[in-house]
Amino acid sequence: MATSLEKIQSVMTKKYGSALEISTPGSSIRLEGSLDTYQMKVEAGWTAARFGYKAVINDITVPDVQEETIACSSYVDNVLERLHFDVAIIGGGVIGTSIARELSKWNMKIILIEKEEDVGVHTSSRNDGMIHDGFAAKPGTLKALYNVRGNRLWEPLASDLGIGFKRPGSLLLFSNPAMKALYPLMADRAKRNEVDGWEFWSRERVIAEEPYVTSKQHGGFFLPSAAVISPYKATVALAESAMLNGAKLMTSTCLTGFEIEHNTIRRLHTNRGICTASIVINASGNWADIIAEMAHDRFFSLHHRRGTECILDMESSRWQQHIMSMPSILQVREKTKGGGIVLTEEGNVLIGPTAEEHPGREQYTTSPSDMIKLKKHFTLNSKLSMDQIITYFCGVRPCTYEEDFIVGPSDNISNLIHVAGIQSPGLASAPAIAADVAEMVIAKAKTFMEIQPKANWIPKRTADIITRRLSLEARDELIRLDPSYGKIICRCEQVSEKEVVNALHSTLPATSLDAVKRRTRVQMGRCHGGFCTARCIDIIARELHIDACDVVKKGPDSQICKGNMSHDETNRIC
Amino acid sequence: MMKPIEYVDVVVLGSGPAGLAAAFASAKQGANTVVLERQERPGGILKQCIHDGFGNLRYNETLTGPEYAYREIQQVIAALVPIRTNCFVASVEHGEHHFLLNCISPSGIERISARALVLATGCRERTDRQVFIHGDRPAGIFTAGLAQRLINIDGLIPGNRAVILGSGDIGLIMARRLSIEGVQVEGVHEIRHESSGLKRNIQQCLEDFDIPLYVQSTVTSVVGSQRVKAVHVAAVDVKNMPIMSTEQYIPCDTLILSVGLIPENELAHSLDVPIDPVTKGPVVDHVMHTMVDGVFACGNCVHVSDLVDYVSESGSIAGKHAAAWALDGCADRTLVPVSRAGNLAYVVPQMIDTSSPQRSASCYFRVRHTIERTTQLRINSEGQQLDCLTFDELYPPQMERFAINETIFSSIKQPSADISIELVLVEASHD
Repeated sequence: MATSLEKIQSVMTKKYGSALEISTPGSSIRLEGSLDTYQMKVEAGWTAARFGYKAVINDITVPDVQEETIACSSYVDNVLERLHFDVAIIGGGVIGTSIARELSKWNMKIILIEKEEDVGVHTSSRNDGMIHDGFAAKPGTLKALYNVRGNRLWEPLASDLGIGFKRPGSLLLFSNPAMKALYPLMADRAKRNEVDGWEFWSRERVIAEEPYVTSKQHGGFFLPSAAVISPYKATVALAESAMLNGAKLMTSTCLTGFEIEHNTIRRLHTNRGICTASIVINASGNWADIIAEMAHDRFFSLHHRRGTECILDMESSRWQQHIMSMPSILQVREKTKGGGIVLTEEGNVLIGPTAEEHPGREQYTTSPSDMIKLKKHFTLNSKLSMDQIITYFCGVRPCTYEEDFIVGPSDNISNLIHVAGIQSPGLASAPAIAADVAEMVIAKAKTFMEIQPKANWIPKRTADIITRRLSLEARDELIRLDPSYGKIICRCEQVSEKEVVNALHSTLPATSLDAVKRRTRVQMGRCHGGFCTARCIDIIARELHIDACDVVKKGPDSQICKGNMSHDETNRIC
Repeated sequence: MMKPIEYVDVVVLGSGPAGLAAAFASAKQGANTVVLERQERPGGILKQCIHDGFGNLRYNETLTGPEYAYREIQQVIAALVPIRTNCFVASVEHGEHHFLLNCISPSGIERISARALVLATGCRERTDRQVFIHGDRPAGIFTAGLAQRLINIDGLIPGNRAVILGSGDIGLIMARRLSIEGVQVEGVHEIRHESSGLKRNIQQCLEDFDIPLYVQSTVTSVVGSQRVKAVHVAAVDVKNMPIMSTEQYIPCDTLILSVGLIPENELAHSLDVPIDPVTKGPVVDHVMHTMVDGVFACGNCVHVSDLVDYVSESGSIAGKHAAAWALDGCADRTLVPVSRAGNLAYVVPQMIDTSSPQRSASCYFRVRHTIERTTQLRINSEGQQLDCLTFDELYPPQMERFAINETIFSSIKQPSADISIELVLVEASHD
């Protein structure tokens, strides 16, 4: 039951002064007015979320925080002009690509548009790759539902996609002996969320399993189903699998507007032309509320919670066997799990993430204070130290004020489905969300078209060749087929020249150094590109038939070099 | 079918100056020697060091990096030692009295069994994130060595307007190199109170090109989502922490980092070779033998040197003794630790093998802090002073060398508990 407007007004006035104006358009609650900080704005949104409305529209303004607009690719052509699609998916993150792949099982014309030069550039590549067990999600939420289902789906899916998958399990350490008493409560929550397995580990058991664990632990709660994948490889593989099954994928393609008639999206305007689609899926991550607004259907607002993680040298993984954290009792009231130690599928140790409300949807600036926040996790394992850090990165979680996912058809626009607020555990949930969204799309499509499952749908994507994971015999044979498999260009991660070449000519080809990095792991090791960057530039230029100084790090205006002296006579300035 | 295992006496890993000197010295002893190089050409980092200043001690003349490398390569070729380029050692298995190397090369997997190994794997550069520079991650951030390679080997200009962090020699040399190529160098920032480069480089690379050096100053963050737009710099306090009130915004499109070198010892780790926590390189005795029998190490993977001549010297010693080890079988070592006292940051070698037929030792050290007064370096053993050397000035960036000659070597008592090296300030004398 939604609280009455008068009651809300009085609660909000008490908390935030009379500065706020409250209304209840549709089934949402809307906040207007101004507050001093972004943190206060977010807190007001959280408060409003408790009043029982479908969603919070938070239009509170904050000094020095401007509403952001989508930075659209400057590339213009008309390849999409007058084309019609049965389904258009906005956004090439792990959610959009998962949905594209699910829908590619049916004889429908699908397009996925992504504004960046590659898929999985933002939140889908800026996370720790964890396939959560589902324990942390609040029982009864969509997060809890999709997380546990998604966890079950990922292992076979990873195998179909030809990507790595590991299940190290997650260990929550008790920081104080009294926490043992919480075990029945924890077990109850795990049961309610239908988590696949949980165990109580004594202090001694923890030491046996994690020999370098902090002496400050008092046993722990172990969740064996927690797993890890490479989030960017997964997103690329999902996109490629969809493409292999006929879905059209357009990168550097940005939605600029919808044409709406009779509460139905008629046309999609993009920098690549105007096209039509019978059904539109909003999977646009941190921009989902902006895209909803374009469809005159902004019934929710997103807030943006950034997180920083640091990556340790591969050698550090010798000392850590499981995902591990030590949640504090106070953390129960926090919006996130508080971070810890995560093992990646590739064998690095990650420390993080932090959680900080911050207005920038795509601002990935890190700061020294992030490192200070991460320091505490290093003490969980006596062998880990700050000097093992190779690098650190920041990602932004798209969050609704209800702190739950939005997955479902729009109330107002007849052919729009929103998949929004997909924060953690979004990666874990992706296959389950995609399955549900596909069902919604199929049900809807059946009302106006004949659709059939594709008889020749190909579930398997051929795995990329990763030579460092092969036996010497297998590597030897490969090198005989193509000697460039024997030319190691990245010494830290043992990547051969041929693997880079493959990434540049794959189903969804890499066009930038970062895209090559996500696909092959060049530049990801301890030298962090010191040795291989020059060789990568050379290979990219050669394979893409471009000048070396036109090789970009990540999309337009990110050329790595500014001039090329190797041309005859004139110094070419890029 | 994989190619059959090849058996040799000595494998040298790396064909930089250390590896080349080691290979030549090993071959001269009559050992069947092979050099493995993971890059396309031999010479290591010397290939891209087109400036001069190499070889003053070893050749008594001033050479460029490629010239120095050329001489060393020719010597190795003349000694009929094969240099296998594009050959990457993926793993090493430690067998009984031999090592099996699994190498990746364009001609297939090569398996080489060697009686002795010489690690000459050099070092890598510390990156922006490893010195905790925050902000964005755009294009336009380069380590100095990468920028040097791009310009000198690939003919690519990294940017138009650069800020350099770190005044180590590579940073200084790159300031000059960029200026010559028309890049506007806004300044070199050094977190410490003095440059960590050679004095001659400060004169020739900065002062001669009017490039300002800002000491006790660092880059705090990078601005720009696609390409570097600017960096923030700030003065630092005594603890090297930035003083935020002094922060300045410097527009530029390039940030070059010369913030330290880290010895590359991943293969040493896999062989459980003990590492000195200060040098980050293997603990070695005076013939560059690590604490794992049969594994020798030389050059910058042992400790980062300032002069290539010293790197070559350590290579020659390692090569010679690796060959002897491989050919004559394995004599027991009598290792005496070298302890240090006072202002010494480190001393290499960390051990002296008193039973070695090599009755002299080249030793290297660096000081922790600058000493601008006359200092004595005393070599003691069992409470007895064996030798005493005098230095006028000592700077942390400068590596110092001293020799333990045969007479002193023979006076080391056997058995002895340790050899201690201490630095003692000399009271001003009244002439």
